[in-house]
Amino acid sequence: MANPRVLDKRRKSVRNIKKITRTMELIATARFKKAMDRASAATSYTDRITQLVSDLTRAGLQVSHPLLEKRAEVKNAALLVLTANRGLCGGFNGNLIRAGQGQFAELKALVPNCTLQVSGKRGISGLKYRGIPIDKQYTQFEDKPRFDEVDAIATLLLDDYATGKLDRLDVVYTKFLSIAKQVVTVETLLPLGSLDLNAGKGDSKQESTMGPKHQYEFLPSPESILEEVVPTSFKVKLFKCFLDSAVSEQIARMVAMKSATENANDLIKSLSRQYNRARQGRITNELMDLIGGVEAIS
Amino acid sequence: MRCIVVTPEETILDVETDFVAAPLFDGEVGILPRHSPLIGRLGYGELRLKKGAETTRYYVDGGFLQVADDVISVLTSRAIPAAKIDRTAAEKQLTESLARKAANPEELAVRDRLVSQARGQLRVDR
Repeated sequence: MANPRVLDKRRKSVRNIKKITRTMELIATARFKKAMDRASAATSYTDRITQLVSDLTRAGLQVSHPLLEKRAEVKNAALLVLTANRGLCGGFNGNLIRAGQGQFAELKALVPNCTLQVSGKRGISGLKYRGIPIDKQYTQFEDKPRFDEVDAIATLLLDDYATGKLDRLDVVYTKFLSIAKQVVTVETLLPLGSLDLNAGKGDSKQESTMGPKHQYEFLPSPESILEEVVPTSFKVKLFKCFLDSAVSEQIARMVAMKSATENANDLIKSLSRQYNRARQGRITNELMDLIGGVEAIS
Repeated sequence: MRCIVVTPEETILDVETDFVAAPLFDGEVGILPRHSPLIGRLGYGELRLKKGAETTRYYVDGGFLQVADDVISVLTSRAIPAAKIDRTAAEKQLTESLARKAANPEELAVRDRLVSQARGQLRVDR
């Protein structure tokens, strides 16, 4: 027969853990809301940039920029993996590490000189454990990535690209599709390919076929503006990756902690049942002893 | 006339103004109500908004200016109120970037950008 006291102890510890996971779930929910607000605040900027680009194309400007064109020979490539600084968020980091590892191996087969940059402590330790050397690591990104910080990384990458030290940049991150769905995606950010920030929405094309809404005056010239728009849209894209990743992390943690709490509830239930049974069994045994003793005397 | 200042992080400003002076790439532009549509490239410098007798000053870090339908949109990566500029950091960036070696046109462009960023901040912070 199981010892009731041991069972009770286990039940208590499960209860304590449940308290922790429940709190973590609540914290993750609050953080997710904040991250979500930030992500939606950022869309106002991207919308305006898209509008600007469509206005530029409407003015009959040929869109061409070194950042948009694929290089004939890719000698140097970089892979940026965005993971979380903390664990306890289900398969979030594991999936990213696996995808990053796969992509890096693929990239290595294609390009002679590859560098790996990782953001987030979990990804850094995970990839190190798998024996993959990391060239650059960032740990400053928490649940609120700041544009300044992303801008610094983006500027470094752009400078490398401009000076020919980098020909291709891939980013592995968790894309936020909806609250119920986030997927690990690999995206090539350099060369940019197209300027469409909201690829997949489909309404921007329709707009550009319409006649010019305003006759804009360009200062100093459309070409000069384009020269600035392209790097900016790269920075915004990268920033969006970071924001998506932050939101997805909080969602993953929320879901993981929710199921942990539920599991703890189930465990408590089954432990309680076992405990009660053991206790009752003991009482019955003692009663049997007593009755047996009385019978023997009489 | 409405003026909206947006950064990738948030909308910093959405106010009615009488006059806006923005630092364009190659000089300052002043905008009064009912200005003709305009798209401009911003440089690094001071953005001034006038409402009545009150003037608010910001440092803007490059980006774009779009004027249409009496609405001025300023898209910039950073907009710092003039009082909050970190002078020591700007000075450090200036000396560091001036000492930077530039061997080809691309590196020269990078250096020029860093220098004008720092100088713009120092100009606004006076």
